[in-house]
Amino acid sequence: MVETKIGGCLPNRTGLFNYYWQRIRRNKLALAGLAFIVFLIALAVIGPFVTSDPMAVNFDEKEIPPISFTSQQSTYNIQTDQLTTKDIHGTWEHPLGTDSKGSDMLAMLIAGARISLLVGLIATGIAIILGTIIGVVSAYLGGWADNILMRFTDIMMTFPFFLLLVLIVFIFGPSLAFIVLVIGLTGWTGTARMIRSESLSLRTREFVVAAKALGATDNRVVFRHLIPNVASLIIIMATLSIPGVILAEAALSFIGLGDPTVPSWGVILESGRHTLATSWWVAVEPGIMLFLTVLAFNFLGDGLRDAFDPRSNL
Amino acid sequence: MIVDVKGLKTHFFTHRGTVKAVDGVDFELRQGECLCLVGESGCGKTVTALSVLRLFDSPPGKIVGGQIRYNDLDLARCPIKQLRQIRGKDIAIVFQEAQSALNPVLTIGDQITEQIKVHLPLNNEQSRDRAKTLLSDMGIPTPETVMHYYPHQLSGGMKQRVLIAMSLSCDPKILIADEPTTAVDVTIKAQILDIFRELKTKRQMSTIFITHDLAVVSEIGDRAVVMYGGKDVETAPVSELIGNPKHPYTEGLIDCLPDMSKSGDRLASIPGTTPNPLELPEGCSFHPRCSKAMGICSHVEPSKTKISDGHFVCCHLYT
Repeated sequence: MVETKIGGCLPNRTGLFNYYWQRIRRNKLALAGLAFIVFLIALAVIGPFVTSDPMAVNFDEKEIPPISFTSQQSTYNIQTDQLTTKDIHGTWEHPLGTDSKGSDMLAMLIAGARISLLVGLIATGIAIILGTIIGVVSAYLGGWADNILMRFTDIMMTFPFFLLLVLIVFIFGPSLAFIVLVIGLTGWTGTARMIRSESLSLRTREFVVAAKALGATDNRVVFRHLIPNVASLIIIMATLSIPGVILAEAALSFIGLGDPTVPSWGVILESGRHTLATSWWVAVEPGIMLFLTVLAFNFLGDGLRDAFDPRSNL
Repeated sequence: MIVDVKGLKTHFFTHRGTVKAVDGVDFELRQGECLCLVGESGCGKTVTALSVLRLFDSPPGKIVGGQIRYNDLDLARCPIKQLRQIRGKDIAIVFQEAQSALNPVLTIGDQITEQIKVHLPLNNEQSRDRAKTLLSDMGIPTPETVMHYYPHQLSGGMKQRVLIAMSLSCDPKILIADEPTTAVDVTIKAQILDIFRELKTKRQMSTIFITHDLAVVSEIGDRAVVMYGGKDVETAPVSELIGNPKHPYTEGLIDCLPDMSKSGDRLASIPGTTPNPLELPEGCSFHPRCSKAMGICSHVEPSKTKISDGHFVCCHLYT
């Protein structure tokens, strides 16, 4: 049978994905962000199998600077009561240098990438799932259910989550799992509000009434008709909230509330704070990684928002 | 008689007051006939149709009186679970705007098969086959291809056909069509009316057809209910209604139709607009616009008067 095309040129079934990919591709910054994120994920997945143990301690090789840098190290000799100063050069053995305990910076940063990404993805995942369900259900049910859910959201929004974290760390001790859980369980409020306002207008659209007219249950309407329609918003919200979560974990570690048993970027940065005068790279390197990661996610998120927005001219 | 609506009252309780969108409507739908609900915008015809399946938003909407008999059930009161079994399976609705009545993020195939699987014990492949048959029945040339399209990739007429195919997917006994010809152009309109005519002759479908267009009524309707201000002001077989209208409002509507044989004159119109549903006039709600209004009209609500078999009117002129 000859396929006649209806209504002129129509895209095939992969049309939507291609369409959005074409739109994202035109945004070079978003593309760069995406490339960096892919690189980071590859690093986090493969890296730890290649590098040495990031937590290995070797005081003979402490505070070696990165390649092409030189630093001065002073040693005090008790017998001669003399302070000798010698130049130390970066070596290929430790391309990004070592910290004050002689641990390899490269190995630590790669292990840190894995932790920071996991924290970002898991906490955001929890927050987005909670936010989406609360937002959509609130909008769909309306009335008193909407009122209760939204007032609960208001309370959660005003609740100082940092205080809660400090309290939990104080009671249960610093554990990464707790930190991720608390960030996830408190971070859904913004998403819930956005999704609710979007769903409010969707709910009155005729296709929702049409679905009900054809016998769809409430569950079906919510999961089959409402949530797919806010999917683009969910993707954008998730991309833009990951850097916030990564930064929150780093900030917690920086003020000493992080989990000291795992080398997250925040923990490394915090340890470098004390040796800033003798080995600046310990603090600067995780700082640069945090900076680039946050920037990459923000660029990608902005790019996605433009690509998904039918009103933007790309 | 397959559906019997008696004294149906659907009110909306808003913070600005009670909107009596439907305020005492009686009609019956007989097996295999096309019953038209006619009236201006805001006269309550859509709410009447939505009330049959209780599809209006609740709150604020509520059926406060009357009954909707279908088989042994009162649809105005039966539990929602039972109603869900009837929605789509026994009684289906075709909406006015095909563009907004289709979910923009699901393919046509997904939307139809999903619908089929809710009510019929068919697996994926069987329901896809059924969907294809339905689409080609509706005159869509390449159903296999159209199944993979998203709604925005189809033209308006195509979407309307998809929508009708979707409502027919579970072989309903009754079809409610809410102005299916209003948002499309004339050629599509003719094609869609053909589809409804065919449904009547081939499947003996009982249809409630909502429209504001008396021309459409005269083309496909068997009987018609004229609505004004949430009430049914005149009920009659279509030929009787067009040829021998009794209610001044019906007369007015017929006068408004353009007549090709009389050119040059200005088109007649009914003075005024539909009343604010929050403050319906006392007595007969049409009296402020009625050319034949009498003293009694402004304070006594007219009751239903029988003109002939099957022809009823609510007007003081005939009591």
